Amino acid sequence: MISKNRRKQAMQEAAAILLLTVAAGTLLILLCGANPLTAFGLFFQGIFRNTSSFAEIFVKGCPLILTGLGCAVAFRTGFFNIGAEGQFYMGAMASTIAALYLPPSLPGALRIFLCLAAGFLAGGLWALIAAVLKAKCNISEIIVTIMLNYIAINFLGYAVRSFLMDPAGNVPQSPKIDEAMQLKSLITSTRFHSGIIIAILFVLAVWFLMEKTTAGYELKAVGLNPRAAACSGISVMKNIILSAFLSGGLAAVAGGIEVLAIQKKLLEGISADCGYTAVLVALVAFNKPSAVLAAALLYAAVQVGAGSMQRQLGVPAAIVNILIGVVVVLILGKDLLRRQRPAAKSGHGEGA
Amino acid sequence: MPLLEMRNICKAFSGVYANENINLKVNKGEIHALLGENGAGKTTLVNILFGLYTADSGEILWKGEPAAFHSPKEAIAAGIGMVQQHFSLVRSMTVVDNVILNLQDNQFFLDRPDAERKLADLANLYKLTVNPRARVCDLSVGEQQRVEILKALYRNVELLILDEPTGVLTPQETEQFFHVLRSLKREGYGIIIITHRMSEIMAISDRVTILQGGRQVAELETSKTTPEELSRHMIGRELHVIAPTPRPAGGEENMLSLKGVRLDRPRRGHPLHPIDLCVRKGEIVGIAGVEGNGQKELAEVITGIQKLSGGTVTLDGQDLTRASVRQRYKEGIVYISDDRHNDSLVLGMTITENLVLREYFRPPYSRRSLMNRGIMEQSAREKMEGYQVRASGSSGAATDVKLLSGGNQQKLIVARELTDHAKLVVASQPTRGLDIGATEFVREQLLAQRNKGNSVLLISADLEEILAVSDRIAVLFAGRIVGILERSQATAEKIGLLMGGITEGGAPS
Repeated sequence: MISKNRRKQAMQEAAAILLLTVAAGTLLILLCGANPLTAFGLFFQGIFRNTSSFAEIFVKGCPLILTGLGCAVAFRTGFFNIGAEGQFYMGAMASTIAALYLPPSLPGALRIFLCLAAGFLAGGLWALIAAVLKAKCNISEIIVTIMLNYIAINFLGYAVRSFLMDPAGNVPQSPKIDEAMQLKSLITSTRFHSGIIIAILFVLAVWFLMEKTTAGYELKAVGLNPRAAACSGISVMKNIILSAFLSGGLAAVAGGIEVLAIQKKLLEGISADCGYTAVLVALVAFNKPSAVLAAALLYAAVQVGAGSMQRQLGVPAAIVNILIGVVVVLILGKDLLRRQRPAAKSGHGEGA
Repeated sequence: MPLLEMRNICKAFSGVYANENINLKVNKGEIHALLGENGAGKTTLVNILFGLYTADSGEILWKGEPAAFHSPKEAIAAGIGMVQQHFSLVRSMTVVDNVILNLQDNQFFLDRPDAERKLADLANLYKLTVNPRARVCDLSVGEQQRVEILKALYRNVELLILDEPTGVLTPQETEQFFHVLRSLKREGYGIIIITHRMSEIMAISDRVTILQGGRQVAELETSKTTPEELSRHMIGRELHVIAPTPRPAGGEENMLSLKGVRLDRPRRGHPLHPIDLCVRKGEIVGIAGVEGNGQKELAEVITGIQKLSGGTVTLDGQDLTRASVRQRYKEGIVYISDDRHNDSLVLGMTITENLVLREYFRPPYSRRSLMNRGIMEQSAREKMEGYQVRASGSSGAATDVKLLSGGNQQKLIVARELTDHAKLVVASQPTRGLDIGATEFVREQLLAQRNKGNSVLLISADLEEILAVSDRIAVLFAGRIVGILERSQATAEKIGLLMGGITEGGAPS
């Protein structure tokens, strides 16, 4: 009975959010002087026109899946990692260095694995700085991870102008990586690359870790009530460090895949801010791996559709970002309301 | 005309009287002590006076005029100041800024030099020395208390309420503090002091009002009473206590022994001064005492949650002084905390997940790091049955623990902690907030542990509970064990005196 009611309520809420969003979107499109119906038509055409456009959802979603997954793991353990952006860059850089310096005699698949492993390690260690500062000195990980973002982003800028700069060119970017190490497209005439499969495998792996293993149980217990975990003999510090390392590593793999599959070299701005969007994806997905996958792909689809709308009708794609903001606020606000209602009820009769 | 008169004050919380027909009179230049056990209604009464609660019935006469304060702001404006047990200071601000915070006559531009001058005058007058420019977080607890008092005096109060003011002070600070109170008294201030320390009541107060279970049981003149009489009034109701069945004979061997256990810097709360205590096999030792005298800290150094500063902890002949929480659990120390929601349960997890919180990492619940849901759930169902844990709704063991009633949550903790390998149960307020049925159940479980030859350390502020199940009773006061009584010698009066810090050799400093 209860769950049935709750499901009905959830459906109603989802419908309300959708309606509000469409209404706001219509208004914004009208203000641009365009026909909302045409705009919406182009929006969906952009997504579903052909395999190539549909595959773009996965191409754009891939880094979001991994960075979102990273944030979700950290948030579950109560470690507010806002540093996916910086960890992404550290991963991209480490993977590039590995790609450029691994001996070409090794088989391509092994080198790809080593590249991504190097990226994972670099991002994990980068996030560890914040975890150690939190565990040892009780410094807010939110601030530290944000500051580490600036360092990582600008260090990459420095790297591509100095030791990683392509000696053959004059632009701030690294040399192109070896053909054998690139993550190839799996479907002809699309950009659907094998990195996407890796990302989905990571979704499964994280789900398995969180739901089926003792390590996941510990991470969740520490996230939900660190005090009770400590009183029962679970090491809070160990788990925060583990979760930060995993979180940073996942975001970093996104960076590595972006280099190996899309850019084939290192350059500035390759994250397209996905490290920040990841926070939003994890929040909307309530830190559940399968929901992260869905939210990341949905976000990517909306971006693809918005691109088509802008190209063909001149309606600014920024509208979509406004709408995404609206949706996120509505989803989180709804949760806040729902959580506060029972709390207010049980507040009576306290203090006796 | 008395400065303050409270007449027939009644206040109930969810149908239970916290105050029932209480009368209180305070004159100018009088120090009036409020005495009573935890939950006797002292704090409720002063909160009504200070405008934090509204009385259900009864009236307050302030300087002969009927008055009702709807907020602390109104109470302060009328001339009543209160120093709470937990200070309400802004720690990162200076003393003078704290004192003038939210003053009525503050201008847009603060006149700090003027405020500092006034503050210095007040401080000199009452020997409340404190540097007005120091930041509150850099001050000692005693100094912070002075700031609280200055804050009240600065607002020209005439009546000062002090809630357990000496609990946090060192003996020297307490002595200084009493000097301050005496000089305030000379200046004609009325003072209400809430305390459970009888030596202090005898030393400082003029009159005492004793509350018990929300009722007023006596109003005495301090000069005409004795600590014994106070203790009798404080506890001396008919205790409906059946002495426990005597412990099975034999078993003089120690299960737990603490030698010189110290905790110098607790996370918060009271430090422990060297504590020596033994619990024998097949014995329940009750720890009586007013809350906040080191009970939590004692439980946590035994269970390993806080690292002790000195001394040794031995369980069944094995030195566990340096052992972790988990090692101690494996050796047989289990813990029922007084704070279910924070210490014992992960409210966002299910019954099943909470039941394995101690043992999730070993067979049968998991093998090679993989959790076995099936076995976990089966064991959870068995434990729910065995310990009568009832989850409303149809989810059974998959119900979130936050949806359970308090009694069922407590049974869940008992079911988890009283494992077959348990040797020592540290139970802190195990029946607080439970209904009669659940209370009985928990006590029976503790007695069953004892009868199996295991040991129980029962920490409780509820004297009836202590008397109902303990074989020996130790009293904790200001971080020390001030006395240990056999159950047969224990009377409410003796324990009451010890709880108030009065030992046969006189009051400990």
